[in-house]
Amino acid sequence: MTPEILRAIADSNQWWAIGPEMILGAAALALLVLEILLPKEHHRFIPTAAIVAQAVTLLGTLINFQTAWLGQETFAGMLRHTVYGQVARVFFLVSSLLVSFLATVCLPRTRMPRIEFYHLVMVVTAAMMLLAQSNNFVMLFVALETITIGFYILVSYFRDNPLSLEAGLKYLVMGALSSAILLFGIVLLYGAVGKVAVAGQTHTGLEFPILADFLRANPDNFVATVGTLLVLAGIAFKIGAFPFQIWIPDVYQGAPTPVTAFLAVSSKSAGIAVLLILVHGPLAALQPLLGPVLIAAAAATILFGNLAALTQRNAKRLMGLSGVSHAGYLLLGVAASLTVSWAIGAVWFYLTTYLLAAMAVFGVMAHLAGKDDADQELEGYDHLAKDSPLLAGVLAVGVGSLAGIPPLAGFVGKLLLFVAAFQARLYWLLAVAIVGVVISIYYYFGWIKTAWFETWRLPGAAESPGAHPPSTEPTLAGRLTLGLLALATVLLGFFQGPLGAWLQR
Amino acid sequence: MAAIFFYLFAGLTLGSAALVVANRNTVNGALCLLLSLVGLAGLFVLLDAYLLAFVLLLVYAGAVVALFLFIIMLLDTQPAARKPFKPLTLAAAGLGGALLVMGVLSFLTRARLALAGPAETAVPSLKAYAERLFTTYLLPVQVVGFLLLGAMLGVVVLSKKLDSAEKAR
Repeated sequence: MTPEILRAIADSNQWWAIGPEMILGAAALALLVLEILLPKEHHRFIPTAAIVAQAVTLLGTLINFQTAWLGQETFAGMLRHTVYGQVARVFFLVSSLLVSFLATVCLPRTRMPRIEFYHLVMVVTAAMMLLAQSNNFVMLFVALETITIGFYILVSYFRDNPLSLEAGLKYLVMGALSSAILLFGIVLLYGAVGKVAVAGQTHTGLEFPILADFLRANPDNFVATVGTLLVLAGIAFKIGAFPFQIWIPDVYQGAPTPVTAFLAVSSKSAGIAVLLILVHGPLAALQPLLGPVLIAAAAATILFGNLAALTQRNAKRLMGLSGVSHAGYLLLGVAASLTVSWAIGAVWFYLTTYLLAAMAVFGVMAHLAGKDDADQELEGYDHLAKDSPLLAGVLAVGVGSLAGIPPLAGFVGKLLLFVAAFQARLYWLLAVAIVGVVISIYYYFGWIKTAWFETWRLPGAAESPGAHPPSTEPTLAGRLTLGLLALATVLLGFFQGPLGAWLQR
Repeated sequence: MAAIFFYLFAGLTLGSAALVVANRNTVNGALCLLLSLVGLAGLFVLLDAYLLAFVLLLVYAGAVVALFLFIIMLLDTQPAARKPFKPLTLAAAGLGGALLVMGVLSFLTRARLALAGPAETAVPSLKAYAERLFTTYLLPVQVVGFLLLGAMLGVVVLSKKLDSAEKAR
């Protein structure tokens, strides 16, 4: 390559275009340095520093929302900055802020080192933000592996609890398997499209635009079709879609509560974001193949998630399996977005409502969890309304929104997805989804009932063994955060306002 | 000349690969694997794929086999008496072997190979790869840096002894 070409490529490395990711990465490194430099008695301020750094990044991203690089490719085509990429950035930052808040509740109960937790959460979040803007399979895979490796550590973080270690091992094996499947798919696509990176070659076939051109010209290339299916299977693993949901219950139960929330919200959204990029970018020409696959996966995922969640008595397993059904509704949105363009906005709106509601519920769970983080049976929610009306109220709003009860935000999110599916003429899928919602109301309301209504017992029988007051009384900041989440869930149900209008453009 | 080297390296690769399977002592087995990889790297050199040969030696021979050796020595397994094979294992192995033999035979008898080599292509030099790493793929390389740091932190977090100081904090 001539020096001119090299210079041109080097000029496309616009580091300011990934400012938020850089700030997060630098702050994550600074946390580790702080841990070394600060005397031990000041270490308790480091989590606060982590939260402040994330809040500053979020603020900066919001101010620069209309960034100068919108619609452009940077880093020699590695990244493509889009409006949805910006939405994803804000989404992942809000989510990681809330995960850090949950960590300040849960981590002090254990003997585990704390600083590394925040470091990993921030690095994983930065990788998710890059993933949602990737425009090249190399970037996509590197970002995805950074996320996955971070999660291997986070899931097994409470290692004095055998369940956490078991969850870590299961996630390691299944995550490695899914990465291998995804990589195999990428390699097949590369084999169909690509050329070896010899001197003077300007593209390799891993770039999304090149791949899109190739598939438009050869939509029935067998190798590319197999590669596409394998890539979809790898992503289905990450979002926990049927039939790749097998790891969900055990991993969700064993992982520390903040990590469960991180997995449920951020990891799932990252998978959906990648899926949206792929089906509307490089794989757009394969719609006749993608449509049926996505529809079948969505229907099976909705039914499996809801039916499996029916019998769960552990709050974390329940959240995991009902999360599978939410992945199904999101897949329904992705399938609808193939023909109805505003469905992409509906998917992001649904993700936003899911973020608010799920984080509210996980916040309550984090405050209620006892010594054993994996042991969060629903019986533990007995008398919650009497012991702590605030937590019970937040729980009711969050769970109600997850179930999709009007007038909460979750209802509007589901409504938008279902209208999109109706417009896309996915009538059968719509029927399955509505059946799924009806089933979900049973187990979600069972949870609310445990928290709010007296369970009838034989006179003189002992108190319910599981019932206990919150093991950590929410602090003022905790009350404010939980209250804000619940308030946002209620408000977003009545008034979608600029967010809804903007996403529906 | 090249033919002599080809047979030499091919013999080294296959012979030491057979020894990996036949060896009772696992440490010797791992070392034979190392020899086999060296032979494979030699074959790559004969094909002008210098970078591939170098990376193979560096990553597989250098890191992966060393890892195997660590684990073998950590587990300290004694060479045990060979267990008799189960009938199912025997049947599967026989089937796999028969398929392999058939595949090679049909390749030898039926394949029509173009005798002329592939069109002359420029062999990518180490410099070309390095240029790409520092220009096109600079961002992924940086992200991999964070990945490796995260992996290292993970080892520390998941295996460090929990001391009482952590409790007080």
